[in-house]
Amino acid sequence: MSPAVQIDDLSFAHPGSDLPALERISLLVPTGESVALLGPSGAGKTTLLALLDGRLRGWQGRTSVLGASLDPDRPPLRARRPDTGFVFQEFALVERSTVLRNVLNGRLGRMSPLRALMGSSTSHDLETALAALADCGIADLAERRVDSLSGGQRQRVAIARCLAQEPRLILADEPVSSLDPARAAEVLTLLTGAARARGATALFSSHQPDLARRFAQRIVGISGGRIVFDVPTFDLSEEATANLYRDTARMPGVGLRAVS
Amino acid sequence: MRFRGIGGFAASTLVAGAILWSFMTTDVEFSRLLSAGPRIAEFLGRMFPPDPTVMREIMKGGAETLRIAILGSLGAVVLSAPLGILASETMVSPPLYRTVRTLLAFIRAIPLILVAMLMVGAVGLGPLPGIIAVAFHATGMLAKFYAEAIDGVSRAPIAALESAGAGPLARLRHAIWPQMAPVIARDTIFRFELNLRESLILGIVGAGGIGFYIQTYVRSFQYDKAASVTLAVIIMVVAIEAINVALRRRFA
Ligand SMILES: Nc1ncnc2c1ncn2[C@@H]1O[C@H](COP(=O)(O)OP(=O)(O)OP(=O)(O)O)[C@@H](O)[C@H]1O
Ligand SMILES: [Mg+2]
Repeated sequence: MSPAVQIDDLSFAHPGSDLPALERISLLVPTGESVALLGPSGAGKTTLLALLDGRLRGWQGRTSVLGASLDPDRPPLRARRPDTGFVFQEFALVERSTVLRNVLNGRLGRMSPLRALMGSSTSHDLETALAALADCGIADLAERRVDSLSGGQRQRVAIARCLAQEPRLILADEPVSSLDPARAAEVLTLLTGAARARGATALFSSHQPDLARRFAQRIVGISGGRIVFDVPTFDLSEEATANLYRDTARMPGVGLRAVS
Repeated sequence: MRFRGIGGFAASTLVAGAILWSFMTTDVEFSRLLSAGPRIAEFLGRMFPPDPTVMREIMKGGAETLRIAILGSLGAVVLSAPLGILASETMVSPPLYRTVRTLLAFIRAIPLILVAMLMVGAVGLGPLPGIIAVAFHATGMLAKFYAEAIDGVSRAPIAALESAGAGPLARLRHAIWPQMAPVIARDTIFRFELNLRESLILGIVGAGGIGFYIQTYVRSFQYDKAASVTLAVIIMVVAIEAINVALRRRFA
């Protein structure tokens, strides 16, 4: 079986920026694995995940996701997009819509175009969305508007939307940054559990090394756009993590960037 | 606000100069001003008591003004939808939206009453020139509001839906429209209120509505009847405002 993610010698600079955000990255994620991305602010975690989601143009190197290679010049085929689910760092929810509507939005790519336009979900879509809500522990919020929710509640909605999409690869950008420690562990259990239950792959970024250790089989350290380590979780030393954050504190500019 | 330095001094001199110039060149006769008090009192006296027999004219004129405002607003909405898109930064290229915005600024700069006079000349007396004038005049503001509503939409949820595989129409329906609709509704109601207020006077230039009767009665010195119509106008404006405040709260 082809790996879920295969990256060879990937480099990328954001438009209008001279400094590369990713530099000569190579990474292999076998199907079914849960991998954590650790790295300081500005390391390139969001950039790497967005690139794998097919949202960035003009990179160099070879990248394939779920057996199909990405094209640096054009977005992936729409039919492939539902297979890759994304949990956005800033949630990216429709504030004025209800929680249920937002979670159903995760199913739009799997509906017929007419149904997607009319917003008439099938009973299967509705069941999937309600199950995702229940899994995330927010079934009682279904009818609430997102703009009335707390940060932690929004984060769960963002995760529920991704799960309702039934992706084969889950890309999660700091999916538990707004949750208290107990809730964070709970949600990561859910996210990696949901991935494992359906044989899906999960790649999540985090600023919490202890959580990464608990929930990932492998940990990738990234700093200044480069991969500095890529090891099975039980091989990761305290020292390596400490160095990851210490090194960049000395790099000009990077240490000054506020945690978003 | 306090003026500072050379610029401040120049600005104060300019303002003082402008005021002096206005006094000098305008023939302000203070004697006329002094006799104005009794005249106004007499005028008000003749307006009282308002003549209630003009109820029929009030209803007829008021209904016509309402129709002008409704159809004029409808015309403005129809014109503003495409122009709003063409004036939006997120939908079209800079040369196009800048051109359209300049055009809208010109339209806004032309007073409604002037447009109405031109339209009366073009299509004759009656509510039709009023409707066209309101539609044209209101588009200058409404299209700009619509463009701002489009540009105010947050991009992140749109990108999220695209990432989930939603097509452009589904994104419009589920990510763009929910963000825009309340803003558009609020702006349209606001513009409708202005249209109704402004079209009250259209009758003065023969462009239809209740203003026709105010003008007729004042010209023929029937101040008691003019007073009734004026009272009716005030009641209409207050009522519109009350309704709008209630409506706008719904779209908060
Ligand atoms: N749209 C953009 N345009 C230009 N530069 C960008 C853009 N987005 C990110 N960058 C830059 O790319 C680098 C990597 O940013 P990225 O958001 O991937 O970091 P991150 O690891 O996700 O950080 P954080 O932990 O704060 O979320 C940073 O130097 C950032 O300033
Ligand atoms: Mg990030």
